[in-house]
Amino acid sequence: MSKEENGFYQVFEVFSKKTDTSSLQHQFSLLAPNRDLAFIMAKENFFRREQVADIWVVKREDVKRMSQDERESMKQLNKDYRETKGYGYLKKKWRQYEQEQLTEKDIMGGGDK
Amino acid sequence: MTVASEHQLEQFMDRIDRGEKIEANDWMPDDYREALIRLISMHGISEIMGALPEKEWVPKAPTLHRKLAIMAKVQDEMGHGQLLLRVAEDLMEPLGKNRDDIMKDLFSGKLKFHNVFHMEAPTWGDAGIIAWLVDGAAIISQTMMLGTSYGPYGRALKRICAEEVFHAQHGESIIMALAEGTKEQRVLLQDSINSWWPSLLMFFGPKSKAETGHTNQDKNMRYKLRTKTNEQLRQEFLTKYVPRIWSLGLTIPDESLRFDEGDGEWKYAQPDWNEFKRIVTGHGPKSQERLSLRVRSYEMNNWVREALGKSALASGVGSHE
Amino acid sequence: MESIEYRNCLIELLYQLADDDFILAYRGSEWLGLAPHIEEDVAFSSISQDLMGHATLYYSLLEELGEGKADSLTHNRRPEKFRNAIILELPNGTGTYLVNPDFDWGFTVVRNYFYTLAKKIRLDSIKKESYEPLQHIVKKISVEMTYHLMHWETWFIQLMNSTPEARSRMETAIKLVLEDFEGVLSYGDLGDQIVTLSLIESEATLKQRFIAELQKKEPIDLSMKMKNGDGRNGTHTKHLTTSLAILSEVYQSIPATEW
Repeated sequence: MSKEENGFYQVFEVFSKKTDTSSLQHQFSLLAPNRDLAFIMAKENFFRREQVADIWVVKREDVKRMSQDERESMKQLNKDYRETKGYGYLKKKWRQYEQEQLTEKDIMGGGDK
Repeated sequence: MTVASEHQLEQFMDRIDRGEKIEANDWMPDDYREALIRLISMHGISEIMGALPEKEWVPKAPTLHRKLAIMAKVQDEMGHGQLLLRVAEDLMEPLGKNRDDIMKDLFSGKLKFHNVFHMEAPTWGDAGIIAWLVDGAAIISQTMMLGTSYGPYGRALKRICAEEVFHAQHGESIIMALAEGTKEQRVLLQDSINSWWPSLLMFFGPKSKAETGHTNQDKNMRYKLRTKTNEQLRQEFLTKYVPRIWSLGLTIPDESLRFDEGDGEWKYAQPDWNEFKRIVTGHGPKSQERLSLRVRSYEMNNWVREALGKSALASGVGSHE
Repeated sequence: MESIEYRNCLIELLYQLADDDFILAYRGSEWLGLAPHIEEDVAFSSISQDLMGHATLYYSLLEELGEGKADSLTHNRRPEKFRNAIILELPNGTGTYLVNPDFDWGFTVVRNYFYTLAKKIRLDSIKKESYEPLQHIVKKISVEMTYHLMHWETWFIQLMNSTPEARSRMETAIKLVLEDFEGVLSYGDLGDQIVTLSLIESEATLKQRFIAELQKKEPIDLSMKMKNGDGRNGTHTKHLTTSLAILSEVYQSIPATEW
């Protein structure tokens, strides 16, 4: 049987959440002829012992993945202006005005308690 | 495959030397890919073939608890095979190959499996020795490869090693019950050690080319697929298990076996490496029987894979939404 | 315990529940390493382990009721004392799990799907009214039934709706399973008393639910029989004898207390 005829071995990527509040994480991949079978096999193949709260299966074809070059380019991105990095001098400045700089906790503290 | 430019190769070796992990779709030299496919498909198919000798003991296990535990253990072996074959299949994809080809390579004898799984396991004592010592040996070689330069293999091994702790203790528990049991149970255990000993020494492969004419260990070390030699692994195994076997009042069928304080290593009688070659090329006592069991199970289920591979359901009609 | 009659009926029902799961778990374990797909092998094995785990829970209740040790009940009981339905002891195909297996995946899917559905209906009934310690066990077991049912239902529906070859194999398998499936729904000679004592609802009620559920999935003729007899009364085929010999081979080989 040629591969074109045989659609049994399709690659599915399996993602899961450990608890209701955790983020989705990639686990591994498996072969299945379709999504429903991929789904019923995923649980016992990858979560026989670990706790799991939710499982997603996605056909690999449907995932846009990065090539090696694209991944290389990610490493070179450097956006200091989006970070707190360049603002170290402010602490000293506020001291000149006899004020303490607001910490991350002070800034975030106004939200949910 | 494309012809490698000097530049690509240099960059690749720099990545290896920097300890970077190579991913499935990254550029890699053909012989790196080939070495990985050879190593991982052999490892994966050995797990699948390794399920067969132990499976013989699944229904026969002597208590409900043992039945459950050995079923879970053999299931894990199949699961390890799944993880490893997935890694191998992704490497073979650019060559236009998939799992079907792996199976056919196994059936034709092109793809070899580990020497231990060609051997007979005629008693419950063997089920204990396989879980304790064969798995013990496997843990040593698998943990050594955890740091492998190939990312997907490392991730699969991490999952596998996490389960090996259960396997090791499952094995220890079986042999402990036999060692502390009746006279007949101790005889059963001792017989199993006697028959498995040469296979256990062979498990790690020959020390150098001198024994079998070829070995892939030099290349695999250069590519950081492995970090220790066959002999280093065998020495670790002996250090870990020989004193434990002796402590249970059991003997090892090698009178020359001793730890040499001067050289800091175990001295042992070499197993018959010609026999090793015969075994792994499909001439072991159970080679053909296990292979035909595998062929038969693949063929008797052809209709299932054909039905679902051709079916419209293959496009993914969801009923669990 | 209310009376000797109650105790006898309860024990009878417990053997039926336990032996059904135990024997089918055994048939499932024979497939280990031989399933149509490696991923499925792993999934199927979990279900077989669950079944044997369920059986173990029932056997420990029997142990508490003075029937003997669970390991002895499973490894040292004569075939005619087993109360499993005959359809569950029939082999997976021809050959054995060690030599020349020619196992039938269609038969396995149908037998397991039908059994899982019947089992779920049975457990739901026990949950409503029965012996309290049994109800506790049944509640625990029920948690795992959702997955079992989804698993076998997916296989059943997909194979029924794929190629003509698969469809015809499945129809043959359905016929074969139904020839003895009445035995799963039977409570045997003590049936009337078991029902009168409110250990479980009547055979007819459960059968009706089973047929209604299955008809929702596939409109097939579900007339069923007990071609090989009623396993609930200790009638069995030679296949049970062979299976029990394998299951107890090591246990019987050396008189030992620890394994």
